[in-house]
Amino acid sequence: MDYKTPLAKVRSLGSAHNGTGHWWMQRISSMMLIPLSFWFVIYAKKLTILTHAEISAWLAEPLNSFFAIAWLMTVFYHASLGLQVIIEDYVHCEWRKIAAVWAVKVGFFALGLATVLAVLRTVH
Amino acid sequence: MIVSLKLNKPPQIYQSCSKTLRVKIMSASNRPLSPHLQIYKLPLTGLISIAHRITGAALATGLLFFAYSFFAIAAGAETYLDLQNLLNHSLGQIGLWLFIYALFFHLCHGIRHLIWDAGLSFDKKQMNKNAVIELTASLTLTLCAFFL
Amino acid sequence: MAEFTLPKNSVPMKGKEYPVPFGATRVKRIEVYRWNPDSDENPRIDVYHLDLDRCGPMVLDAILKIKNEIDSTLTFRRSCREGVCGSCAMNVNGKNTLVCTKAISDYKGTLKIFPLPHLSVVKDLVADMTHFYAQYASIKPWIETQTPAPADRERLQSHEDRKKLDGLYECVLCACCSTSCPSYWWNSDKYLGPAVLLQAYRWLADSRDENKGERLDELEDAFKLYRCHTIMNCTDTCPKGLNPAKAIAEIKKLLLVRKEG
Repeated sequence: MDYKTPLAKVRSLGSAHNGTGHWWMQRISSMMLIPLSFWFVIYAKKLTILTHAEISAWLAEPLNSFFAIAWLMTVFYHASLGLQVIIEDYVHCEWRKIAAVWAVKVGFFALGLATVLAVLRTVH
Repeated sequence: MIVSLKLNKPPQIYQSCSKTLRVKIMSASNRPLSPHLQIYKLPLTGLISIAHRITGAALATGLLFFAYSFFAIAAGAETYLDLQNLLNHSLGQIGLWLFIYALFFHLCHGIRHLIWDAGLSFDKKQMNKNAVIELTASLTLTLCAFFL
Repeated sequence: MAEFTLPKNSVPMKGKEYPVPFGATRVKRIEVYRWNPDSDENPRIDVYHLDLDRCGPMVLDAILKIKNEIDSTLTFRRSCREGVCGSCAMNVNGKNTLVCTKAISDYKGTLKIFPLPHLSVVKDLVADMTHFYAQYASIKPWIETQTPAPADRERLQSHEDRKKLDGLYECVLCACCSTSCPSYWWNSDKYLGPAVLLQAYRWLADSRDENKGERLDELEDAFKLYRCHTIMNCTDTCPKGLNPAKAIAEIKKLLLVRKEG
């Protein structure tokens, strides 16, 4: 039998005083991604038609280098924030949840960094 | 006795025990969970909300491919050509345009989220209308991207 | 993991089917979720047929008629029969509502009546609301002040400030909205849900309350508040025409202003 009162269960560990930052950054990054996504669609179409020399030159144009790096940094950040919410919603075992959230965060950070380096190598 | 209370079947003593004990047995009993997803009729906005989540997860997965595209360009002409052939394969094309449609859908519903977050557009009567607008907008944007 | 399917003991099976009443011309088929705590069986769906010419206009009238004339063991909550007590909240044809304010004629075809979704069932259409009420208690739904009330009169409020409570004070805590919310289904142990958050905002919006900051402190939590993903089922289903989703958006705005403003 569980003799904890319903109120004790509801109050549990209390409020963590967080969440606003995550919520706000998801909004900020989403606003940044509105223009950046249009750049990405152009890039995706270029991928299907340009030769290697052409796309390297295209990426080396200052505006495109800027957009490429800005898009990569923002999109990886936004995606990791979003995946965090999905994991938190559905994974209920606390340790697995914490591990999964951090695996995504660290993984996406590393991947984001690596792709930015790849762009720099192309456009140096 | 306490052990027997945890069984799914109400024990024999159930009928004869005191009222307080009976209450305990009932609360520990095998209560079902009422149906939820199985019966709930989601409104269009609710369905779109689920689609927003699914496209979000799909975009995060597809992102890995486009991340790879930057490595391929950095790696040289040969790797890039392999990637390009993959993308220009008919299956690759389908994948690419599904990704772009998912992106525009996610973007359109994302804008609706931003409007909601500003405390606007909560009118119940407008809900389904706005949902149709965003679906149309995402389709239009995809078609524009395809033909331009 | 969140469970999207029902546990084995909760899957409804086919139940009894009662005959069409003799001589009836306008027959309504009604399916009702039944579960008896005294039996080991799974829940079942019983089928009744009512003669609409001999039944009151509301869904509650139909349920009462079944209890009075066909099966007296049918168990449900009801009291005011005019939408102010919030007792008779149920899921009818896939949407939560107060059955006393819903007309049978609003539904075409079979009426399918279930208890509020994703709650533990006490009996038939009666779901366990203990946790929901405890969540309500946790937000301290009363005025909190330090300043003593004026000796000669009540605590005053301007007309404009009173207006800010419109659309909030009408909530009867029927739980239609909270139990329509998928986020509440998967995380009700931590997420407060639309009804309780609307009530929380009702006290945040009250000009006479002196404890706004602490109320916001309590709400600022990734699970208590931010599990709201603006799915909008709450606003869609509220039988009182209120807007819990908007109230939650207002709470998020207050927290943002406090943090960034």
